[in-house]
Amino acid sequence: MKNLNILLIEDDMIEVMKLNRAKSSLQLNHTISEASNGEEALKLLEQKDNLPDIILLDLNMPKINGIEFLKILKADERLKYIPTIVLTTSNNQRDLLECYKIGIAGYVLKPLKYEDYVSKIEKLLSYWSINELITA
Amino acid sequence: MSEKEVNILKRALERERASRKAAEKILEEKSAELFKVNKMLEQSYSELTSLYNKTSSQLQGVFENIVDAYVIMDLSGNILKMNDAAVEMFGFKSTQEEENLNNLVSPSDIDIVKPAFKKLITDGLITDFKINITTKHNVPKIVHINASIIEENGEPVAAQGIVRDITMEREAQEKLIESENRLSTLIKSLDTGVLLEDEHRKIVLTNNKFCEFFGIPVSPELLVGQDCSKSAEQSKDLFQDPDGFVSRINEILFNKKLVLGDELKMTNGKILERDYIPIYRSSEYQGHLWSYRDVTMQRQYSWGIEAEREKYGSIIANMHLGLVEVNNDDEILLVNQSFVEMSGYNKDELIGKKGGELLQADKSNDIITAENEKRAQGLSNSYELKVRTKSGEIRNWLISGAPNYDINGIVKGSIGIHLDITELKNLQIQKEKLLAKLEKSNEELQEYAHIVSHDLKSPLRSIDALVSWLKEDNKDNLDEASHKNLDLIQSTLEKMEQLISDVLNYSRVSTENKVDAEVDVQQLVEDVIELVYVPEHIHISILNKLPVVNGDSTKLQQVFQNLIGNAIKFNDKEKGLIEIDVLDEATHYKFSIKDNGIGIEPQFHDNIFKIFHALNKRKDSSGIGLSIVKKIIGLHGGNVWLESTPKMGTTFYFTLTK
Repeated sequence: MKNLNILLIEDDMIEVMKLNRAKSSLQLNHTISEASNGEEALKLLEQKDNLPDIILLDLNMPKINGIEFLKILKADERLKYIPTIVLTTSNNQRDLLECYKIGIAGYVLKPLKYEDYVSKIEKLLSYWSINELITA
Repeated sequence: MSEKEVNILKRALERERASRKAAEKILEEKSAELFKVNKMLEQSYSELTSLYNKTSSQLQGVFENIVDAYVIMDLSGNILKMNDAAVEMFGFKSTQEEENLNNLVSPSDIDIVKPAFKKLITDGLITDFKINITTKHNVPKIVHINASIIEENGEPVAAQGIVRDITMEREAQEKLIESENRLSTLIKSLDTGVLLEDEHRKIVLTNNKFCEFFGIPVSPELLVGQDCSKSAEQSKDLFQDPDGFVSRINEILFNKKLVLGDELKMTNGKILERDYIPIYRSSEYQGHLWSYRDVTMQRQYSWGIEAEREKYGSIIANMHLGLVEVNNDDEILLVNQSFVEMSGYNKDELIGKKGGELLQADKSNDIITAENEKRAQGLSNSYELKVRTKSGEIRNWLISGAPNYDINGIVKGSIGIHLDITELKNLQIQKEKLLAKLEKSNEELQEYAHIVSHDLKSPLRSIDALVSWLKEDNKDNLDEASHKNLDLIQSTLEKMEQLISDVLNYSRVSTENKVDAEVDVQQLVEDVIELVYVPEHIHISILNKLPVVNGDSTKLQQVFQNLIGNAIKFNDKEKGLIEIDVLDEATHYKFSIKDNGIGIEPQFHDNIFKIFHALNKRKDSSGIGLSIVKKIIGLHGGNVWLESTPKMGTTFYFTLTK
């Protein structure tokens, strides 16, 4: 199992805590960097020598929202190869379609129950751990 | 003898001597006188003789040189003497020919010869005697004879006559009579009433039609010679304007000038047209001719046309459609009042102008040219056009045009009907805008529902995570009651999340995303039964095969899911029975879902379909299910209702149109 460099773009503090707690309770050694909005994330992604392996992206965020961020990402020659998994509460069909149109590597609904969340994250991360990725 | 006596005797002798002498003298005088008379007599006799001779030779000359045929015959008709003209007329060879004139008479006229001779002998002459003869050359002729008797010693011995050939004359006369007859027949039966008056206003000629018009009950011939000076006054009551009739006649007669086409309205409804033609011969007034024609039909016909024209004219003038006639160059020939009002220009400003140039708002658009070309090809068409009225206002007109043909069938322009559809157009634009707005606001609402549900669900998720961590981190520090309470918090969160999801679902049920397709309800219901959790004690059965309907399968699935779900949830019996059935009701299907559950009190039957009216507060019931059902059935054009006996069970019915 590979340790992943994960960029979590999420404005909700508790959501960030959930991922971190899930990672530690699952005893995974992935590195998680955090950005609370798209702007911040883009700034982080400027460091081309330290790009994440995958991005977990929330859709509902202030300033640049998830979809707008996704568009910017996919327009970038280098960044567009980073698998981006949407992690959201929105089961809006339109959002789902739009995201796949722009190009995403997954679309995961945040469940109500924390246990369910942990279980989904576990599967998600283990899947990407076994994938070959374009690294910087 | 006495001297005395001798003296006496002597004196007597003397007296005798003297008287003898006187007598001798008288005799002498008388004798001289006689001689003188005798001389004179002698002279006058010789004068007379010469005069006679002269006359006689003159007569002979006249006889020979006379132009007309001259014949002397005996009293039996034998020719005694004739001149050259007679020879020629009768076809003789010479004046010496011996012939009886009776032989020339045509067989048809033999009978009139004898009486004529008798008359000649009795009266001594006969004039104007006409007879048909056949000449020696076999030519039939009509001759006219004037003849007289020649007497000798007081006895008629012969007759002389002048004979004229009147064949030609007679023919001409006959022709004239014939043509006169024809003319009079023509006048008689003429459809025009004719009245010819002489200069004294006496009738010369009139006809049947005239008598008919004026109600004169006698034949026209009887009117000839009648005085007309009072007739106007007599017949004035036949006319609608009696005094006008009389005064007009007097005026015409006074002027003695040609008048044509006077119109007279009669009380019987007839309309007459009258001409007055004065007759002048070498500038002297000779009388005049009145002629009357019955023009009632023509007038009524033309009135009919006029009325029709006025009717359509007034329709055209008063209709709220602008009417324009243009020629092939798009120059306006005619407009109606509505068009004047629509365009804001008055008639004078429009006539002769090019409609397109004057009114079209967007001059770059060549729609008018294109449409006019179509019309020139004989096509009718209609199109919309933006126009600028005189006041500068932009209006939308719907123009319907048709080619206008001349009597030879050649397109001479077109006629266009113009309807101002600005208001309609505005409404349409408004409607489109509203629709777009509605669509947008619907979209926004959907979006809003998603955002709201997301925003509401996020804190729930966070709380759940936090509660989980509390439980995890304090596994041993919390007593059982606290653990239970934390569990309650989490189940409440679940319920709340369900509620939010249901509200979102409810908001999603709209026509916008309704898909219309054939739905096999049998298959659909079987799938639903598979999908929902059916406890052991509940038995679900489908009584009749469910049909295929038109609808949105996802939404219909929601309906069955909700209804079957309810039937399961609210069943308190040891052996729960759920029966699904359908009834074909011609125009629609009536579905029913019957259970033997807890039943619903009648007072709640209406309310349960309203949102958030859950009757039973249960963990797994948000109270939105039935309102979603009602909404979906409504979308499919159906109804939903229920029958229920509390504690015994409930049957939900709904209909779907076929």
